[in-house]
Amino acid sequence: MTLSALIIAPFIGSLVAACLPANARNREAWLAGAIALAGLLFTGWLFMQADPGEVLYERIAWVPALGLEFVLRLDGLAWVFAMLVQGIGLLVVLYARYYMSPADPVPRFFSFLLAFMGSMLGVVLSGNLVQLVVFWELTSLTSFLLIGYWHHRADARRGARMAFTVTATGGLCLLAGVLLLGHMVGSYDLDAVLAARELIITHELYLPALILIALGALTKSAQFPFHFWLPHAMAAPTPVSSYLHSATMVKAGVFLLMRLWPALAGTEAWTWIIAGAGTCTLLLGAFAAIFQRDMKGLLAYSTISHLGLITTLLGIGTPLAVVAALFHTLNHATFKASLFMAVGIIDHETGTRDMRILRGLYRQMPYTATLAIVASGAMAGVPLLNGFLSKEMFFAETLLVGGDSNWWMSYAALAVGVFGVIYSLRFIAVFFGKPDQPLPREPHEPPRWMRFPVELLVLTCLVVGVVPAISIEPILHQGVVAILGEATPQYDLAVWHGFNLPLLMSFLALVLGAWSYQLLRRRFNLRQREQAPLIHRFSGAQAYENTMLAISRAADFMLRHLGTRRLQPQLLAMTLALLLVPALLVGMLPGLLAPAPHPADAFFVMLWVAGGACALAAAWQAKYQRLAALALAGGTGIVTCITFLWLSAPDLALTQLMVETVTTILILLGLRWLPPRLRDAGPAAAPPWPVRLRRSRDMLLALGGGLGLALLSYAVMVRPMPDSIASFFLEKARSEGGGSNAVNVLLVDFRGFDTMGEITVLAIVALTVYALLRRFRPAAESIAIPAQQANPVDAATRQPPAEQANSGYLQVAGIYMRLLLPFMGITAAYFFLRGHNLPGGGFVAGLIFSVAIIVQYMLAGATWVEDRLHLRPHRWLGYGLCIACATGLGAWAFGYPFLTSHTAHVELPLLGELHLPSAFFFDLGVFATVVGCTMLILVALAHQSTRSHRLPEKADPAREAR
Amino acid sequence: MHEQAWEQLPLWISLPVSLLLVLGGCIALIGCLGLLRLPHFYQRIHGPAITITLGAGCILIASMLLFSALETRPVVHELLITLFVLLTAPMVSMLVMRAAVYRDLRKRRARPGTKDGEDEVYPVTQTQSRGDR
Repeated sequence: MTLSALIIAPFIGSLVAACLPANARNREAWLAGAIALAGLLFTGWLFMQADPGEVLYERIAWVPALGLEFVLRLDGLAWVFAMLVQGIGLLVVLYARYYMSPADPVPRFFSFLLAFMGSMLGVVLSGNLVQLVVFWELTSLTSFLLIGYWHHRADARRGARMAFTVTATGGLCLLAGVLLLGHMVGSYDLDAVLAARELIITHELYLPALILIALGALTKSAQFPFHFWLPHAMAAPTPVSSYLHSATMVKAGVFLLMRLWPALAGTEAWTWIIAGAGTCTLLLGAFAAIFQRDMKGLLAYSTISHLGLITTLLGIGTPLAVVAALFHTLNHATFKASLFMAVGIIDHETGTRDMRILRGLYRQMPYTATLAIVASGAMAGVPLLNGFLSKEMFFAETLLVGGDSNWWMSYAALAVGVFGVIYSLRFIAVFFGKPDQPLPREPHEPPRWMRFPVELLVLTCLVVGVVPAISIEPILHQGVVAILGEATPQYDLAVWHGFNLPLLMSFLALVLGAWSYQLLRRRFNLRQREQAPLIHRFSGAQAYENTMLAISRAADFMLRHLGTRRLQPQLLAMTLALLLVPALLVGMLPGLLAPAPHPADAFFVMLWVAGGACALAAAWQAKYQRLAALALAGGTGIVTCITFLWLSAPDLALTQLMVETVTTILILLGLRWLPPRLRDAGPAAAPPWPVRLRRSRDMLLALGGGLGLALLSYAVMVRPMPDSIASFFLEKARSEGGGSNAVNVLLVDFRGFDTMGEITVLAIVALTVYALLRRFRPAAESIAIPAQQANPVDAATRQPPAEQANSGYLQVAGIYMRLLLPFMGITAAYFFLRGHNLPGGGFVAGLIFSVAIIVQYMLAGATWVEDRLHLRPHRWLGYGLCIACATGLGAWAFGYPFLTSHTAHVELPLLGELHLPSAFFFDLGVFATVVGCTMLILVALAHQSTRSHRLPEKADPAREAR
Repeated sequence: MHEQAWEQLPLWISLPVSLLLVLGGCIALIGCLGLLRLPHFYQRIHGPAITITLGAGCILIASMLLFSALETRPVVHELLITLFVLLTAPMVSMLVMRAAVYRDLRKRRARPGTKDGEDEVYPVTQTQSRGDR
């Protein structure tokens, strides 16, 4: 069973088509055509093989632990739709080969078209409701891409956006509905849902689920009041309109209603919602179609009307109505696709689709005209064509609905029949009469193969119309049985049922339609009319635009009133929330335990007093003496390092020392760009009371925050240490991790996957900082060189940084620091190599290495260093992540899980036996990533100084790109 | 293993190590006192200098002796530390001193001519001797 091949093949084809060169129109068409044809033959063959009524399944385990699986299910209904999708797809590909201009980016077109075919098949074949919704949204997405294919045109972009917003929103409603359905049934499996009709329709959630699912189906099938997107989607190339927006995608909504018909239909709510929307759409679409100028617009509204007809039939809910609905779905697909293609040919050959200009085309393109006239006959419901049959069935059903007393539904049906005849006549009017204006291009017949799909489809209309029992009934029957099961009614597809009311209605519609058309043309100047009477005021598109505008205005309003760009209010809100929310959520802390008596070391206490004093002093100095505050904060950092060392955590101490160093430099670089202090004008007056109030509030908040954190730490620390897995790591580090430094073994081996995630986050952070700083320009007031560096007393102000280091006052420092570079490199290598057994490791080594480079930057400036040292932090980042990942993946090659560590013992000629765990390479990746991150951030900051002195007109793009 | 080694340390190792450690500690203390007590910036700068060179040197030698004896092999990592200290300490002193020199120069220049002290970036006290570190 290879049902999945049906879905996968179009997607693969989509990828391949995307990679083909832009001028390979033929190759792409062959590719797409071959995939559609193969799929068609395969689907047909599959059904020949299977027993009648048998349902084919394919289940692929996806997340077995959660019971999620990818289910494909091919029953009669799915088969009919799959054949439809692939059959029309094949014809559209052939047609598009001739329709698309060589100047268009054709790979994109065929790629999207194939992706759409795959998604549509996914919808049709899904055996799981959630999976169906996923494919459903994929069809919305591909439809969006195809409508916006000519994205240089504003109407295409607008139409694509509108179609996507409406259908994707509907898809989200559908998802919610499906989730409700799954909740009711207890399973998302289609078979389980279809079997649980009683459970569903008696459930209290039935109505919400029905409404949500109906929203999904009605938006997709362009039903009132969501119909407005379809006319705007006509901005797409005509093959797309023919395929997606008449034959297949808009049928997805109808398909869904049929699919869920056994589970949901038959209630009053179903009839009201579905048939109500369908009837409105039916009348509205048919009426609006009469007054279109654009041939595609006429067809779009006609499509809306016909979809409404199908929806109404489904809403009526009798088994015969379902038969008629499926029958009309197929009929509509054939005649409407051919009509769209005919319009495409006319547009292609004459350069316009405006029915006010087009006249007398029969003379120049007799074949196309004949085909289009036959197809519009089917659309109008002329006998001996397929449209006649399904329309007659529709009339028969509407007669049944009202019974003997209520004829409103029948009147509506008759009105639609009349409207249908009028717009069909209007459509074919372009072929007759005398041309009164010159056309943009001199029309002639299209190439042979461009007409072929139209011929084939029109032939189908004829054959089905004349001998329905032989041609379409076997196919239709498969679908009907799949929907109705045992309730399948007796029905008889035949042209002649004897004289009866539906037949009379059909003829009445034809006669009335022809008469009304003449009347409209003579009295109301139908040919030149700009807009539909009455209903042009109720523009769904305008309502949509207004809604979108209101939404973005509301978002803007919220942003303006609830958001802020200033840091202070954000900090205020955050601190307040941190203080209040936990207190409100869990109440006050339970009584704190007294600390266990612990001998305090005098030295340690003194150390902490010094550290605390540094921290307090830093806070005190932070407002005006930023440099001093930074130095004091560094003091606190040193105390922290010593504390770690004191408490036997040399790894942490080492890392903390390096982090402290790097962050201090980082903040130092940032200090330069802070605004200078505003000098007070006069002697300090007492601040006004609002200021004092604000300051007291901030003071209270700061105290509260600090005390809260202290309290929290205290509460945690006085608690007895819970049993943790720490001892496990200590025991196993040597035996299983192959290293005696448990911290490093933990990082690169036991918890390698965590580390992998951490370095990825690190890389993302570095790239984000870089991206933010790349376009950042310092504030105007801090652009100028600070006064400290500009005093003429200092000889160095007249030298660039490189000169200062090479021959200026930094000469001694320059020599010393350059001498230091290799030694720092050795230190980094030393800490890296011994990391697995002694304090050290990739992280610390990376930081040390970065410091070595930063020292050079600080000494001679970014320009000088970068002229000599081509350090590319991005590559360090990339290679680091690649190495770490490759090490992890390497385990797969030997059949172990991701990131399994292995220790190899290598004999080297000079060094003797080398103990080489695979974690070593992982650590190498960590090292490179850390170097890359640190360098990227610091370099991005350092480059601010090279920018600020440049005038805007002298901006150098080469440097900015760096 | 280390516990035993500590106790079996021969006197001829432990004696010089202890002496060097005490000496280094004293020198560091004297350096700190100098930093605290000396009246003038250009004098105060010598406090850290002595701490870094002599004090740190004593401790580093002690460390080398001790660990060589403990691990019964020559341990010379401290040489690298010495190198770092020798290369960085004078440089830092030079930079600090240069900053001080130029601050004084700026101050001298600012005093006669300018009125509102446009060069005054850091608040400068009138005396050069104390309190403006």
